[in-house]
Amino acid sequence: MGCSSSVSSSQPVHRTNNIQSSYDTRGTIVVYGMIQSPATQRILATLIEKGLKFQLKVINLKAGENLSRSYLEKQPFGTIPALDDVDGFTIYESRAISRYLEMKYKDKGTELIPKGNIKVEGLFEQAASIELSYFDSYANGIVTERIFKKMRGGEPDMNKVAELRRDLAKNLDVYDQILSTQSYLAGNMFTLADLFHLPLGSLLLKCGEGELFESRSHVKQWWNKISTRQAWKTVQAMA
Amino acid sequence: MPIKVYGTPTSTCTQRVLTTLIEKGLPYELIKVNLAAGEQKTQEYLDEKQPFGVVPVLIDEDGFKIYESRAICRYLELKYKGKGTELMPTNDVKALGLFEQAASIEMSYYDPMKGLGDPDEAKIALYREQLNAKLDVYEKILSKQPYLAGQDFTLADLFHLSYGNRLVKLNEGHFFESRPHVKDWWNRITSRPSWQQVLALA
Repeated sequence: MGCSSSVSSSQPVHRTNNIQSSYDTRGTIVVYGMIQSPATQRILATLIEKGLKFQLKVINLKAGENLSRSYLEKQPFGTIPALDDVDGFTIYESRAISRYLEMKYKDKGTELIPKGNIKVEGLFEQAASIELSYFDSYANGIVTERIFKKMRGGEPDMNKVAELRRDLAKNLDVYDQILSTQSYLAGNMFTLADLFHLPLGSLLLKCGEGELFESRSHVKQWWNKISTRQAWKTVQAMA
Repeated sequence: MPIKVYGTPTSTCTQRVLTTLIEKGLPYELIKVNLAAGEQKTQEYLDEKQPFGVVPVLIDEDGFKIYESRAICRYLELKYKGKGTELMPTNDVKALGLFEQAASIEMSYYDPMKGLGDPDEAKIALYREQLNAKLDVYEKILSKQPYLAGQDFTLADLFHLSYGNRLVKLNEGHFFESRPHVKDWWNRITSRPSWQQVLALA
């Protein structure tokens, strides 16, 4: 954790010192973040699904690199990730980055947002909003207590976890209903709406909350399908 | 069959959808869901309208059903692209990217602030601190451009209206007033006729 590295999705890992300001990154997609960060993993998964080469410049949160003046110029909220496209265009917010990559590199790799049919696009937006409304903050809350707090030397508030788990469980009951009539959240195609669940979903499993998925047969099936995608396996192997 | 919205005029999420419909110049029928009586939690509502048991839901002219307020607004913009105000940039991938960034900012840093009505004093103090830090960044962004996604008003700005209004109603408008560019932006977006009409319904 904390070492500088640059990673290309189809080449052997080579190291780059990320404080060398003279390093010319024009012509390469650059990701600013940390491999262990769920939000960074979201965009790594997208990049790999699209078959896009990129470099990872580590922004070490522990060392406060996210609060350096140069990073704040890229991402004024001081959170990770941020991304520079090949022409130097900068964008932040992991879901926005993923959507942008899909729009820009539409014809490369996996199609991640359905196009051409307004109803299908509407249902994609509904599914993308479902992830934000009913999954993200509960999963993030549980994982913050059970993993991130511990990493910082704190103790998880298990009452809070129980409350969050209860609410997430209710929402996943609805997921189970939805997924009983279609393979993915937006319909019958894998989309960003499913992908966005991968980082926190995987962390839920890691901290022993797997029962949330395992006990719901359609959610379990869906989770198995999306978490065994090659792109996600590649991201997990990087961390 | 006109567009039907199931919700209430005082629900922050319903207000988002109504504002968008008015911006697009689309006639609609608002069918009130009795939240106080728990209508949204009845089996009938869950089965037929919204399985998570919340409002709003929109049923389009052709019977197409969609829920989640931000998804509904995006869908309306896509479907009725040429009508009324343009609420998302078209064609320019960078402009669209910056729109998505602004829309995500609203979800990441602003929406969580809806907890300000919480009775727990310690929680409120924390919310204030966080909201101040985040609005300081909004101030920076809005010092360089009039709207969150760039030069034009978009859904990313519109999505802020209903919770921002709630802040003001809780006498917390100073969060906006104390920051000159945020204040200007807030005044600009709240004085739009569409929002004024929605407020009149509430």
